[in-house]
Amino acid sequence: MPLELLLALVAGGISGIAVLLHLTGRSRQRILGAGNARSAWLRHFPEDSVFKVLPAASGQAALVLTNGGPGLLWTFGADTVGRHLAAEQVHETATGLRFDFNDFAAPGLSLRLPERERQQWLALINTPAEAV
Amino acid sequence: MTGEISYPDATQLAVPFFIAAILGEFLWIALKKRGGRYETRDAVTSLIMGAGSVAEGLLLGFVAWTLFMFLWQLTPLDMGTSVWALLACFVLDDLRYYWVHRFGHRVRWVWASHVNHHSSQHYNLTTALRQTWTGTFTFMMVVKAPMVLLGFHPALVLFCGGLNLIYQFWIHTEAVSRLPRWFEAVMNTPSHHRAHHGRNPRYLDCNYAGVFIIWDKMFGTFVPEQDHDRPDYGLVHNIATFNPLRVAFHEWIGIFKDMAQPGLTLKQRLLYAFAPPGYSHDGSRDTSAGIKAAHLARHPEDAGTPGFGG
Repeated sequence: MPLELLLALVAGGISGIAVLLHLTGRSRQRILGAGNARSAWLRHFPEDSVFKVLPAASGQAALVLTNGGPGLLWTFGADTVGRHLAAEQVHETATGLRFDFNDFAAPGLSLRLPERERQQWLALINTPAEAV
Repeated sequence: MTGEISYPDATQLAVPFFIAAILGEFLWIALKKRGGRYETRDAVTSLIMGAGSVAEGLLLGFVAWTLFMFLWQLTPLDMGTSVWALLACFVLDDLRYYWVHRFGHRVRWVWASHVNHHSSQHYNLTTALRQTWTGTFTFMMVVKAPMVLLGFHPALVLFCGGLNLIYQFWIHTEAVSRLPRWFEAVMNTPSHHRAHHGRNPRYLDCNYAGVFIIWDKMFGTFVPEQDHDRPDYGLVHNIATFNPLRVAFHEWIGIFKDMAQPGLTLKQRLLYAFAPPGYSHDGSRDTSAGIKAAHLARHPEDAGTPGFGG
């Protein structure tokens, strides 16, 4: 197959499929509540015991308190991803919190959180698991 | 041996079919409201990975080709280009695929290349195209060397490899439940391959087949899909990026970061590259064997069932 034709097919195919999926509502983000965040966390970390789930008001993420310490679950397209948290990975910003996981497969995440929610999350992230 | 033989690049010729089949699957799911899920960024990432994989073949395919043509000059054997030679080559290449795929899950160096194919939490026809950009660096082309030395022309070997990949395209779907028993018994099917893509402990390291599922049955790695334990797609530790560069290279970066940790012995550094995925020198991570054992500790009733020694 001529390279020009192959390139046109690939570029046209990817663009066309992307437009079709977007226009038919396949770009919608998942919204997290306490119930689905808990089950999503246990899907990622089945060995954890979940003590408490605090979904962000935006529904984009949830702070999950477990026997292994705090964790962050966030929406990833129609699905979710989760990471356990260490206090040093969390930084306060002007509008919320910034999470840096030192993981090439999980680039940092900035979350918008109202002041009250931000302070509550920071306090819980810095609380030892056994004290939760 | 000498001789000029050429076959079409089957994978490239199949591109229009791939696009049409993806549209067909999507329309079927949209109309029937069942049979799978599509998400825009996930699908686009998979398609870009597929395009990149074709580009990698165009750029680096000469490495394997040079090796195979060197071996072809050495061998006194020539199986020819008859239909029987093609069939024999196809079956042998499928056996070759089984072992390369098995290495791809059991040797981290090879897994670093293959992991991106499993990195989607979706399972649809675009997932089939989420292919590696770094296959050349695994050096798994050496597993094809015996076929060339047996007298199969390199062009025929590569042609059969392309047909194998095209067969595997259509089994990446939830739209097909199960096929007739005789077909499920011999061939790799959507059901068998859904199990292969499952991150459930039961399905880790099973169903490596390309075309014929008989290899898994022969070598003890077959696990049938269970209706009570539907495959949950993705990785044990799912990635959090749609960036194709991160998808393509994240495990390679992980290997080099692990190997570069201070205070390790040479053996530990090598194990981070070549031991099964999940190896760690301090036991802080789990291999698939550890994950299965932990599952059985929580669910002893699963012992002896498929995927857990059954």
